[in-house]
Amino acid sequence: MFAYTIRRFLTLIPMILIMTFLIFLGMDLTPGDAVSFMASPEAMANMSQAQLAQLRESLGLNDPFFMRYLTWLGGVLHGDFGYSLTSGVPIKDIVLSRIPATLELSVAALLISTFLGTILGLVSAVRKGRPVDHILTITGMIGVSIPEFFLGLVALLLFAINLNWFPIGGRLRPEYTVYWDHMKNLILPALVLGVTMTAGVMRYTRSSMLDTINKDYIKTARSKGLPEWRINLVHGFRVALTPVVVLIGFRLPILIGGSVVIEQIFQWPGVGNEFLGAVRSQNYPLVMMIALFSVFAVLIASFIIDLLTAALDPRVQLD
Amino acid sequence: MDSDVLVRVKNLQTFFYQNGRCNKAVNGVSFDIKRGKTLCVVGESGCGKSVTASSIMQLLPELSRIEKGSEITYFSEKGEIRIDQQKRNGKVMRSLRGSEFAMVFQDPMTSLNPVYTIGYQLAENLQYHTPLNRKERKKRSVGLLRDMGIPLPEERVDEYPHQFSGGMRQRAMIAMAMACNPKVLIADEPTTALDVTIQAQVFDLIMKLKKDRNTAIMLITHDMGVVSELADDVVVMYMGNVVEAGTLEDVFRSPSHPYTVALLRSIPILGKGRDQDINPIRGVTPDPYDRPSGCQFAPRCDFFKEGVCDKCMPDATSLSKTHSVRCWKFVGGSGYGN
Ligand SMILES: Nc1ncnc2c1ncn2[C@@H]1O[C@H](COP(=O)(O)OP(=O)(O)OP(=O)(O)O)[C@@H](O)[C@H]1O
Ligand SMILES: [Mg+2]
Repeated sequence: MFAYTIRRFLTLIPMILIMTFLIFLGMDLTPGDAVSFMASPEAMANMSQAQLAQLRESLGLNDPFFMRYLTWLGGVLHGDFGYSLTSGVPIKDIVLSRIPATLELSVAALLISTFLGTILGLVSAVRKGRPVDHILTITGMIGVSIPEFFLGLVALLLFAINLNWFPIGGRLRPEYTVYWDHMKNLILPALVLGVTMTAGVMRYTRSSMLDTINKDYIKTARSKGLPEWRINLVHGFRVALTPVVVLIGFRLPILIGGSVVIEQIFQWPGVGNEFLGAVRSQNYPLVMMIALFSVFAVLIASFIIDLLTAALDPRVQLD
Repeated sequence: MDSDVLVRVKNLQTFFYQNGRCNKAVNGVSFDIKRGKTLCVVGESGCGKSVTASSIMQLLPELSRIEKGSEITYFSEKGEIRIDQQKRNGKVMRSLRGSEFAMVFQDPMTSLNPVYTIGYQLAENLQYHTPLNRKERKKRSVGLLRDMGIPLPEERVDEYPHQFSGGMRQRAMIAMAMACNPKVLIADEPTTALDVTIQAQVFDLIMKLKKDRNTAIMLITHDMGVVSELADDVVVMYMGNVVEAGTLEDVFRSPSHPYTVALLRSIPILGKGRDQDINPIRGVTPDPYDRPSGCQFAPRCDFFKEGVCDKCMPDATSLSKTHSVRCWKFVGGSGYGN
């Protein structure tokens, strides 16, 4: 398992190189003077044209494309992501300041959707063809087809504006003193995001479970006289879970990238919201860097998925 | 009542209901499984052998059910149990399965759970039917694997099914089935998925267990050679009916039903040489949803007689104390002309 982990980790390197290369290419092609996000605004404020040209030279901006890529990559690896075009703040600081909010919302939503989704999917499969299954199936279908912005707006209207149970949006307020104070701000967006993700997990768990309980080894388990709960959970669910873990794993990137739509509707100050702002103000370096973060998140997530699958399924070849 | 009868199947009817149609997969089957004896069930594909076996274990698929009027009686040490009247996965069935009744399936590649070790799946059986604790269960599992002739059982017990070869897996399956010394072992084509040399080993193993532990065996097979070597009793099925039943001697020496005769002629017997006559049975198996109105075999039978064979299925006629057949030819006064 250790060797497998190492080997799988090493395969991340070429992928990271390719993705960073594409992102750098994208940045190079976008309009604008590269020097403006590579140097801090204070340094640039009182510079003559000649000094700027010299700065360009010293930053390596006149080098061939590939050399520039390597210089930039070196910077990225050292945590130098450049500066925001609009505010002049280091991009790293912007992203880091947004990540806690995004993590909070995404973790809550992931937990909600994972628990609800797998349990409801399991119930639906075990009670196949019964009323519970029909109700869950119809709800799931509606859930999959409703766009999250719609659900978000309806929830906002109903629970925040009409019923006044929750604040309308935002995360922190001046009057909040302890960490838990803003939980009431978190509940609504987390529920909306969680519920929209639940439907997919549920449908997937159901079909995976139905697939599993028709397998021969389930009949074997039954022929041993095991109780039904054990057959369904230990023999069925445990096997059915592997593909579900993969599905859930592919959602891990929202932990970093955030959900653009939900963060926007609830004015949640996360990475997704920042991303939208950056796109609006044509702040390309910031857009690209957030994309880079998301790419990293996807790669890491796929790495984790592979490890989990290997841990869950003994048939996965480890050597 | 013979005291050597362990399971009595009487007029078993198991029907499938699908898309509003009814498939009478098993339609009035009767036979006995005798204590410590081997009963072989033969018949062509789709004639209802597996459904009969599943009925005895109450392991039927969802859309099927055992009809009223069927009787499956198990003569246990504690008295008679009417299996057909039990709830499918109810308490009684659960306590019988795995302890008194055990089953080995056709394909050992798919009948073991891929994510648990062989030892875990073996111990599971012991956990529900014996008072053994975890450590004793492990020890017993190793012992069982050793009994089945699996080398290095101490190590292999912690391996996963995919690390076992097909023959090994089937041995592990048999170990699982035999874990609690069942009274009846139902083996549904246990060697079809294995290669020939392994087949012989698996049969040897089953027979050894039968001898050592006095287990009754219901063996479903297509291999007449196997039947002639292992069977005490033989049941021949065709389209959901038992058409002929008797001891091995009865059925192989004096086959009486035209289907049995044709079946024995259609199958080459290993060791009989290459010059044997092989005559495939003419015609094809009828559509199970559109069965002939009379004797099920009538459309393919060389002895078909209009006005007799196409009216209804004949009842069983006893040819001797052990031998019975369902054919109009043997029914006195049937108008068949003898
Ligand atoms: N799960 C099922 N759903 C619907 N019909 C079934 C099912 N299993 C069996 N049948 C039907 O029941 C009948 C008997 O099938 P069965 O599996 O008992 O045949 P078999 O004698 O075991 O054949 P084989 O030698 O191929 O295993 C067939 O007509 C088949 O179509
Ligand atoms: Mg079969």
